[in-house]
Amino acid sequence: MVTLTIDGKTIEVEEGTTILEAALKNGIRIPNLCYDRRLKPYGACRLCVVEVEGQPRLFASCSSPVTAGMAVKTDTPKLRKARQTVLELMLVHHPLDCPLCDKAGECDLQDFAYDYGKPEARFIRHRKKAPPDVRGPLVELTANRCILCGKCVRLCDEHQGRGALGFIGRGFPTVVQPAFGEILECDYCGQCIDACPTGALLSKPYKFKARPWFLEEKDTICPFCGCGCTLTLGIRDGEILRSRGVEGIGQSKGNLCGRGRFGFDYIYSKNRLKTPLIRITPRNSSKLGVKSLELKDKFQSQDSSLNPHPSSFFREASWTEALNYISENLRSISEQHGPSSIGAIGPHRCTNEDNHMLQKFMKNIIGSNNIDSSAAFGYAVVEKAWETAFGQKRHSINLTSPLDKEAILIVESDLTVTHPVFGLNILQAQREGSKIIVADSRETKLTRHSSQQLGIKPGTGIALLNGIMKIIMDQGLFNKETISGIAGFSALQTLLNDYTPEKVCRITGLTEAELTAASETYARAKSRMISLTISASENTKGMDTVLAAANLILLLGDDPGSLQIPAEYSNSFGAYHLLNGSNGLNNSSTGKDIFEMLYNPDSIRALYIMGEDPALNFPDTSSIINKLTSLDFLVVQDIALTETAKLAHVVLPASSWAEKDGTFTNAEGLIQQLQKVIDAAEQPLPDWRILKDLALSMGKDTGIRNIEDITKAITSSFILHPSSFNSQPCFSPINYSPAEKSDTYPMALILRDILQHSGSMSSRSKSLDLVASEAILEINEEDAKKLGIADNSHVKVSSSRTSVYLKARVSDEIPEGAVFVSLHFPHAKINTLTSHSNGMPSITMVKIEAVK
Amino acid sequence: MVRLKNINELKELRKVLEKETFKPDTMRAKVCCGTACTATGAYKVIDTFKSEAGKRDVSLEIVKTGCQGLCQKGPVLKIEPADIFYQRTKPENVQWIMGYTILGGVPYRQGLYRDNFLSEPVPLMTEVPFYKKQLRIALRNNGRIDPCNINHYLAVGGYKALEKALSSMTPDDVLNEVDKANLRGRGGAGFPAGRKWKHSKGAPGKIKFVIANGDEGDPGAFMDRSIMEGDPHSLLEGMALCAYAIGAQYGFIYVRHEYPLAVKNLGLAIKQAEELGLIGENILGTDFKFTVDIREGAGAFVCGESTALVASIEGERGFPRVRPPRLSEPGGGPWGFPSNLNNIETYACVPVIVEKGSGYFLAIGTKNSPGTKVFALTGKVKNTGLVEVPMGITLREIIYEIGGGILGDKKFKAVQTGGPSGGCIPEKYLDLSVDFDSLISVGSMMGSGGMVVMDEETCMVDVAKFFLSFTQSESCGKCPPCRIGTSQMLDILKRITSGQGQEGDIERLEDLGKKIVAGALCGLGNSAPNPVLTTIKYFREEYEEHIRDKYCRAKVCSGLGVYTIEHSECFLCGLCKEACAFGAVKELRNKFFIDQDYCTKCKACYTACPIGAVKVGKKERYSVQR
Repeated sequence: MVTLTIDGKTIEVEEGTTILEAALKNGIRIPNLCYDRRLKPYGACRLCVVEVEGQPRLFASCSSPVTAGMAVKTDTPKLRKARQTVLELMLVHHPLDCPLCDKAGECDLQDFAYDYGKPEARFIRHRKKAPPDVRGPLVELTANRCILCGKCVRLCDEHQGRGALGFIGRGFPTVVQPAFGEILECDYCGQCIDACPTGALLSKPYKFKARPWFLEEKDTICPFCGCGCTLTLGIRDGEILRSRGVEGIGQSKGNLCGRGRFGFDYIYSKNRLKTPLIRITPRNSSKLGVKSLELKDKFQSQDSSLNPHPSSFFREASWTEALNYISENLRSISEQHGPSSIGAIGPHRCTNEDNHMLQKFMKNIIGSNNIDSSAAFGYAVVEKAWETAFGQKRHSINLTSPLDKEAILIVESDLTVTHPVFGLNILQAQREGSKIIVADSRETKLTRHSSQQLGIKPGTGIALLNGIMKIIMDQGLFNKETISGIAGFSALQTLLNDYTPEKVCRITGLTEAELTAASETYARAKSRMISLTISASENTKGMDTVLAAANLILLLGDDPGSLQIPAEYSNSFGAYHLLNGSNGLNNSSTGKDIFEMLYNPDSIRALYIMGEDPALNFPDTSSIINKLTSLDFLVVQDIALTETAKLAHVVLPASSWAEKDGTFTNAEGLIQQLQKVIDAAEQPLPDWRILKDLALSMGKDTGIRNIEDITKAITSSFILHPSSFNSQPCFSPINYSPAEKSDTYPMALILRDILQHSGSMSSRSKSLDLVASEAILEINEEDAKKLGIADNSHVKVSSSRTSVYLKARVSDEIPEGAVFVSLHFPHAKINTLTSHSNGMPSITMVKIEAVK
Repeated sequence: MVRLKNINELKELRKVLEKETFKPDTMRAKVCCGTACTATGAYKVIDTFKSEAGKRDVSLEIVKTGCQGLCQKGPVLKIEPADIFYQRTKPENVQWIMGYTILGGVPYRQGLYRDNFLSEPVPLMTEVPFYKKQLRIALRNNGRIDPCNINHYLAVGGYKALEKALSSMTPDDVLNEVDKANLRGRGGAGFPAGRKWKHSKGAPGKIKFVIANGDEGDPGAFMDRSIMEGDPHSLLEGMALCAYAIGAQYGFIYVRHEYPLAVKNLGLAIKQAEELGLIGENILGTDFKFTVDIREGAGAFVCGESTALVASIEGERGFPRVRPPRLSEPGGGPWGFPSNLNNIETYACVPVIVEKGSGYFLAIGTKNSPGTKVFALTGKVKNTGLVEVPMGITLREIIYEIGGGILGDKKFKAVQTGGPSGGCIPEKYLDLSVDFDSLISVGSMMGSGGMVVMDEETCMVDVAKFFLSFTQSESCGKCPPCRIGTSQMLDILKRITSGQGQEGDIERLEDLGKKIVAGALCGLGNSAPNPVLTTIKYFREEYEEHIRDKYCRAKVCSGLGVYTIEHSECFLCGLCKEACAFGAVKELRNKFFIDQDYCTKCKACYTACPIGAVKVGKKERYSVQR
């Protein structure tokens, strides 16, 4: 610790702290334009100069470390004059177009000029001759306003690992631009917009929407991935106009990705539901014997091609009518076939309160245990594997865990895409000296920043993990002390005997040297971590991969926390723990799980789907659609008319994440408060309210009056005790089983998320659609040449089930023999090609043909 | 070449080479093949020598040496062993040199150096006034050896210092010797090299770099280029000694891309030294290991700044970085490894210090600035070129004795030292002793050693504008004081020199200049306003004349003054009328005069007049005439 005085105040800080950091920590403001706590000191703006007693020259406080006994002055006439001159010079070329600059009001340059400015200007005005670059979809670049603090350039390069911006030119004409002055093509995280101290980088969707001083800012939790970042939403007249990260706030400490920053506008999408809808079909009335509904003249006609019942229509209905209709039908099905013929599926996007209410509704009101959540395809797999391997419940995730690890192994995942903020921590670890070993079949941001890239063939992660274990075993690098206490070691040994480096290299396509180097680097590191992702939108990993990774963790005697598999969506963690048919029942019998409900034609007769879109998001959608259309009664409660909702008998409009209070549990298990920031347009209600009202219309009282009641109920039941379930850790030897190859379907179809989207919800965002609006099939250059596919042309993709048409992008980031596509977009219907595998990796083999 | 396995092998090799190279009984022409002499036709001279020698069947050894210094009078050559110096040698003179000197042993008078047309020619190189006062340490082998031949370097005592260090000195001994010699950095700031080396040696970490800064960007300065082109091995030896002293294993020579010959010769030298085992792994059979690599810069002046140079070596944009960490500290050098960075000339001095001891070096020069310094003497002086003089010599000696005085025997006005970041020194300081501290005391600096002499026909405002426009266009753009401040200063200077100067401009320049010096991030910005500040300090009246009287006394700035034709001198040739593009020169009754309403002060008539009858005057003169 070092003691110094700043402006007469005695301060004690750690050694190596800079004067500026010491001052900021202690509430002393030193003006600065190019400092950012995430970046290395840059020392360009010369505003943060301070005087140090006994030293004639001025010190740039952002880059001068403190020394013991230093007496610093931050505001003297000499400093004021120096700062004044710098600002005067900046304003020589910075245009005074504040009246039409969105930054005005929260512009650092404006504020400092106000603080230090002097009325007369001594110098001739000079401008750069760079017109605003408005070509990019989301970010606008006005070089004239740029003061070259370099924050955006450094943030993009050092922090985001993208490097999309750079300085072009030298001296006075220097401008910040994408390479060669082309259109900005980047991650669209928009971090540069937050960082820019002037209006040089602006958000295009927010442009000319509102002056910042008219905005009301409210904090809430991001609805997309499991990181649980805090969004600061700017609201005017009940409309969310922008979203930004505020330095140091929330789990991400102010970092946001493009989804959180630009994707919030999905709640303003055209197909948001406004009123309850009831389907009128002849089948409805005949089969169920429900009193035939009077047809009003106001029909809502649907696109007939998407409508599985062309003769039926949705009719707008009032809440009372819709709820009565549901309760009547549910009651009659329950009476005819028993309560267990009714099931419910909950989402990973709704709040804990909503999920709790659904659980309560099913168990107490309907009396059925058939309840499961969409987390079953992702996070539940992880939890199950976790329990098997480590004998513990509750997977412990820490988003900052990469930071102190010496070696990080990443298996067939791009965490910078699925969990951008977690990804940032991995990149930071790499900068701080961690060795990142990335095993992936395609090139990603992580492979580009890796210390060692293992270009394995798609879906061979298990073989790779087994191969690494074999080498560790052979070299005796495993932990001999802890290993004895773990069951299944001999079985693992037997299995591993089969995974000689030659065989593993044959399967994965690596060289033995690569494999050995990676294994040794990983095993010899002092602290280690394995990370991957499991979700319904990826098909190269599953429970087996998690178990294989867990074996490696156990073999090296690491803490279970070394396995970091964050939950995929904003509330997957909460959904898994709250909506689980076999968990915490008041009724001992186990209900049917999601696979049973969706894929078994005879399992149930009525389904209540809340906020989920199985007809799009889950594998083998044709079976799901068959099942859903054959149901006697299907209720879908969602914010928009989804693919599933189009099949429903009744559709109920729900409030979006911004329109309700509640809590989300992020991947770390942290319960974060969601704030109602705007009122819902027209009739949508929070999901829990709908369920409460439905219970009332069924003549039963849930005992819930308001949201606080639920929150209380959850907090008393939800706190899970890791010790509540404790058995011994054990090895579960996992054999690698290759995907079946056939000559008809030679290519592996790999599903991967893309950075701009999260599930199918974000595909309704206009802003994000500007960047990525359709599913694109990425194919290797060589394959494309062989098949005669040109870049940007259409291809026909066929699996043994059906075929779809997609646009192809020829890319050198993709390995030969595989094609990559994402699941986000409804029109693409990718899941009609895939098959359901109960949580195991299942790569679909397809045939690609060029469309002439 | 066979790799030398130990120090004795080197000694034996040198013994053989000393006998066989530069034998006193063979005739030798040492032709300067530096960039300037090559440009004036050195290779044509060599070809003629070869064909003449073939014709007359004479055995003549031709040595293509590096820069011999007197670039103004190139191509220059020396005939050995008689040591006769020829200048401005044309291919047609070669036959005479051949006949007189090589065959006859007498000088060929027409090719010798003379001070002027009337004076007696000087045959011996050591007697030429340009060389007489010089003492060559850094340039000791320039002009003596063929830079592409390591045998020549070994024959004149090259790698003796490395041999001495590896055989009888510990790294600390080497470091102490350099420290004792008080060798100050020749790149400009004059920071003691010994102290710098100690910092780097004391830095934690096993991997260290030795970096040689050959990014010589000052206009007119070329001493580093001459060393790299003419004596690359002395640089390599100096770097190896530094590496030995501080415990470094790798070296970088950062060279401007615009020095193709330097890059070529350095590359060749590294290859030859590696083949002989003088650099590389296990040097001379010891554990000492040192590999050197060349990095070419892309022509940015700012990359001569140490942190920007490091960024450039890393392949990043050449932006200066904040200090601390300094280069010698962890995190400061390339990729974060502690490094020692010195100028080329500094390294070239090291072998001499190690070989001959610090006492030899300390005996030369002044107490605080021992040794010699190379200057690139240019401007309005008779003999321009590279001069190496002991520190403490006066400016007058350099300009009038070595440089031969002002061109056309005009009046001396000022000398600019230290390149674009230096300052202008007026006549009253002509007897100032030249060393690091005294130059700083008069507001200038040693810099890399550029020395531009200016006569009375030089406008000081224009000079300041010239140097500032250089630094302004070379500003990297990172910090506002330098990026915007220098461009503002340049704007004001442009205004002043075009007659648009306003009251208060001088104060504005001074204030802004001081703020830039105090506020800029790196050395480039810290020193960029120096030419302006010193010219204001010593030649303020010229600035005032420009602003108030709209008059440039050196008649350099166009757009200033009042143009009139002196009728008593005019002989009515009419060239001024022809030259004027604006029809301002009118002819009337056998008389030319300038219509002030049309005159744009473009200076066309002034330059056109063959007898100087067009006069530029102050405003008052014009009004009196009316």
